[in-house]
Amino acid sequence: MEWADKAVGFLLSYISLSIFTYYTFWVIILPFVNSDHFIHRYFLPQEYAILIPVFAGMVLLCFLSLFIGYVMLKSKKKKA
Amino acid sequence: MKHIVKILTLLVTISALWIGLLQTAIIPRSHTWLLPIYFIVSLGCYGLLLVGVGLVQFPTCPQEAVLLQQDVIEAKEYLKQKGIDVGGCD
Repeated sequence: MEWADKAVGFLLSYISLSIFTYYTFWVIILPFVNSDHFIHRYFLPQEYAILIPVFAGMVLLCFLSLFIGYVMLKSKKKKA
Repeated sequence: MKHIVKILTLLVTISALWIGLLQTAIIPRSHTWLLPIYFIVSLGCYGLLLVGVGLVQFPTCPQEAVLLQQDVIEAKEYLKQKGIDVGGCD
């Protein structure tokens, strides 16, 4: 079981580092590169830099409240 | 109490810097508006990284686990001698 935990931890670190690097490139460095440079083909337009995090945050919040509601309902049923 | 003061100071400093950037308009407005979201995204990445590093470096002690299992078996045998059924499944 230990190696599975290690693999999950490594995967989490890798995902977070890659998201951070990509987003930094997208938001901080890309505005200073000419708009006809070839690197712009690998990135979505700038509007999506706001849309995607906000959408992901909303989805996360929805799942969190769903989970909390489910747990509260379950605990209330057990008490009765 | 000290921690929250530190965090609040950091937040106030960052928002003051951001408002200053918005007012002076050194960088175009559309890029300045992205910075708070960038801050939140990097905070999330930091949290995820901490969880991942914690999972990788989670301390385990196999020798202690073996000793604990031996202790459990010993205790069960002792209790069985005294006539108490512990109901062990293994």
